[in-house]
Amino acid sequence: MTKPIVLPNPRLSAQASQVAGTTASLAPYLRAEGLSKAYGATVALSHVSLDVHAGEVHALLGENGAGKSTLVKILSGIVLADQGRLEVDGRPFEPGSLLGARAAGVSTAFQELSLLPNLSVAVNLMLPNLLKGPLGINSARRNEQAAAALLQDFGVTTVDPASLVADLSLAEKQRVEIVRALSHRPRLLVLDEPTAALADPGWLFDIVERLTGEGVAILYISHRLAEVRRLCRRGTVLRNGRSIATVDLTGTPDAEIFRMMVGTSQDEPKHKPMSNRQSIGPRLSAKGLTGRNVHDVSFEVGDGEILGVAALEGQGQRPMFRMLAGLEPMTAGTVRVDNKEADLRSPAAALRSGIGFLPEERKTEGIFLGLKAASNISLPILGRVLWGPFINHRRENAAVAEASQHVDLAKRYQAMRISSLSGGNQQKALLARVLLAGPRNLVLYDPTRGVDVGTKQVIYAAIRNFVDQGGSALIYSTELAELVHLAHRCLVVYGGRIVGDVAGSLLTEDRLVSFATGHGDIAA
Amino acid sequence: MSAVAGFPQAERQRRPALGRLLGSGAVMVTVIYLLLLLVYSLCQKNALSMTQFSDQLSNGLPLALGAAGGTLVVLMRGFDLSVAGVIALADVLTATQAGDGQLGALLCLAMVVGTGLLVGAVNGFLVAYVGLQSIACTLATMIICSGVALLVLDAPGGNVPDFISDNLTGTLLGVPVPLIIALVVLLGWVILRKTNWGVGLYALGADETAARLAGVPVRRVKFLAFCAAGALYGVAGMMLAAATSNGDPGAGTSYLLLVFAAIAIGGTTFTGGRGGLLGSMIGAATLMLLQKVLFSLGVSSFYTGIGQGLIMIAAVLIAALSARLARRMPR
Repeated sequence: MTKPIVLPNPRLSAQASQVAGTTASLAPYLRAEGLSKAYGATVALSHVSLDVHAGEVHALLGENGAGKSTLVKILSGIVLADQGRLEVDGRPFEPGSLLGARAAGVSTAFQELSLLPNLSVAVNLMLPNLLKGPLGINSARRNEQAAAALLQDFGVTTVDPASLVADLSLAEKQRVEIVRALSHRPRLLVLDEPTAALADPGWLFDIVERLTGEGVAILYISHRLAEVRRLCRRGTVLRNGRSIATVDLTGTPDAEIFRMMVGTSQDEPKHKPMSNRQSIGPRLSAKGLTGRNVHDVSFEVGDGEILGVAALEGQGQRPMFRMLAGLEPMTAGTVRVDNKEADLRSPAAALRSGIGFLPEERKTEGIFLGLKAASNISLPILGRVLWGPFINHRRENAAVAEASQHVDLAKRYQAMRISSLSGGNQQKALLARVLLAGPRNLVLYDPTRGVDVGTKQVIYAAIRNFVDQGGSALIYSTELAELVHLAHRCLVVYGGRIVGDVAGSLLTEDRLVSFATGHGDIAA
Repeated sequence: MSAVAGFPQAERQRRPALGRLLGSGAVMVTVIYLLLLLVYSLCQKNALSMTQFSDQLSNGLPLALGAAGGTLVVLMRGFDLSVAGVIALADVLTATQAGDGQLGALLCLAMVVGTGLLVGAVNGFLVAYVGLQSIACTLATMIICSGVALLVLDAPGGNVPDFISDNLTGTLLGVPVPLIIALVVLLGWVILRKTNWGVGLYALGADETAARLAGVPVRRVKFLAFCAAGALYGVAGMMLAAATSNGDPGAGTSYLLLVFAAIAIGGTTFTGGRGGLLGSMIGAATLMLLQKVLFSLGVSSFYTGIGQGLIMIAAVLIAALSARLARRMPR
């Protein structure tokens, strides 16, 4: 993330301290001060502070990549903070393990469900210390009874403790995950996107109410602001790994919260000259696209157009892009390229149909770490630079040199092993490969993930150049500022459907966030 | 297990009995075994006699024990190639170091189990605590053990005490001793899989991160699995020496691939978390029975490998198909 850090607005800080003042009579149950955590060169958390009182539901708000997951991991004992102080109930809290955190009264219901599918619900709930029978070995009956009692205690009546977790629906798994966190009778409960798979969150709200009545402190993480408002009075906003402010939610309008989450865009004035060419109809069009987590998605991208896709994490954008790339099957719908139905049964077929895909994970899905940058770039055209059965290196290098020009990859890097290049140069090479394959449509999944500002500008220029030549581009980005900056039009995906289609003249981050959090009404 | 009272709707989540049966590898391999036994009894007159049965058990037990040990590691998504080395080492140790009589046999058992535990502990330490790949480490220990076996006995030979070879392949109160050994191992497994360690094996095989998040002591579970596997290989080697009445430093090599074939046929998936020892042991018996069937059909022994490979493909195919079928069963 390279967005400039914006200092808290003084008005908000005043508000925050005022909130703190009202509850100052009680010492906070959880106090975090100046927490920092870096993974190699990537700073995940930087001087984050917050406090949660007993009996309080405290919201943790922020965009994807703002550092919420890292904070959850630190609180759960999975990773240790590099710097900063954590106190629970007035005592220093430095859990070295999940069990250590649990022993200190902190337990977490994880977002990426951590249940074991091949074991029964009962075993999952009772691990790691299963109940023993008279023979000293685990008694399935006693574990199931204990699990049944737990489930019933928390009002889960539709799950049989003896059934395998693999046989449960996603919503049932989520309930079991939450019940497991509750079963340790925590004094501080961390709920990470607990309602993502729950159609009816009322069940959870009742539990939260009951727990806070018993004085349990709850840290509540959710993208759904309506839900957060219902449960929480205070919330802390994270952005780019920093705690921006702790606010009184009742006194802060949605727009203000969104603004704090997103930050103010400091990018140069928008560049939006939609090319003047007369559109000859859509280059790439999808009709009724349906598959895993994607429901009836239709859109068109014209030639010369950059169509953005905005979405919060896990709203179906990933399977949608992977379907277009031929990586995931679609169960219904058609995709047409230049009015011809595209064959998307494999990535190779998608490429032949004219769709060039830039994957999400550069290291695992994109580059070949052991090869030279040039070899990484030339892969798709090796068949075109043959001399008999052998590769003609002169022609290969010429093609690589030309493609590298488009992405401004310096010549000296081309001969180097790609693993020794910076992330930005790796991404340039990857984009060069996609361009070299000669697609007419680019499908780019977060093309500037983890690259520096300069590289970003190069990538933007390459994309603009591509569409100016009559191509089309579909771009998903986790950075809304980037979409606002780059796209001519932007779709918003929520829950696997397109919930918004924002034209360029109306494109603002706030509007995208409102749609992306299921608040289309506010944006309208 | 019956559904717990108070869960009227819970019944619908149960897999139907047929679906569960189809999904179980042990059931499928038993069916294959029985079919082979039928063929065998049709083409061999005394196929179902006690001597025949006892003979087969003696010949099959080393492989069954090796497969049982290997299964423990495969269940948690690891590989243990040291089986070949430990079997060879235990085999030659039995043929050169064992004393006669009851005491000699007991000391020999302690020696081979100790050897297996030691090798297993080395594997377990390197994999669980140092974090190395299980295939690489166990390949190394396999090579080392094979080398040590050659130092102990440089050519096939040696002398297995009569007490060991007679008693381990004989009968006790009319029951074949190999069957008793197999049943003891299975009983031990039935108990162990119900301990936290046993549950941990399956948890680890399904998803190591989730297992850690559930509080499973991942390293200890891994370490103990390699140790237990090593001990079983040791017993397998001693049993091999008893069945062949001599020692052979190269004996382990032929077991390496057969062990993994038996595990696959028995329905334990190499992706971890599914299967069990019973299936692997019956899988071993199936492979050995196949040899007999092909022999009695007059097929040259050169074709044994082809037959075993085909059976393995069939078993893996059936397992994959039945698992798919079981998933599609209406709830």
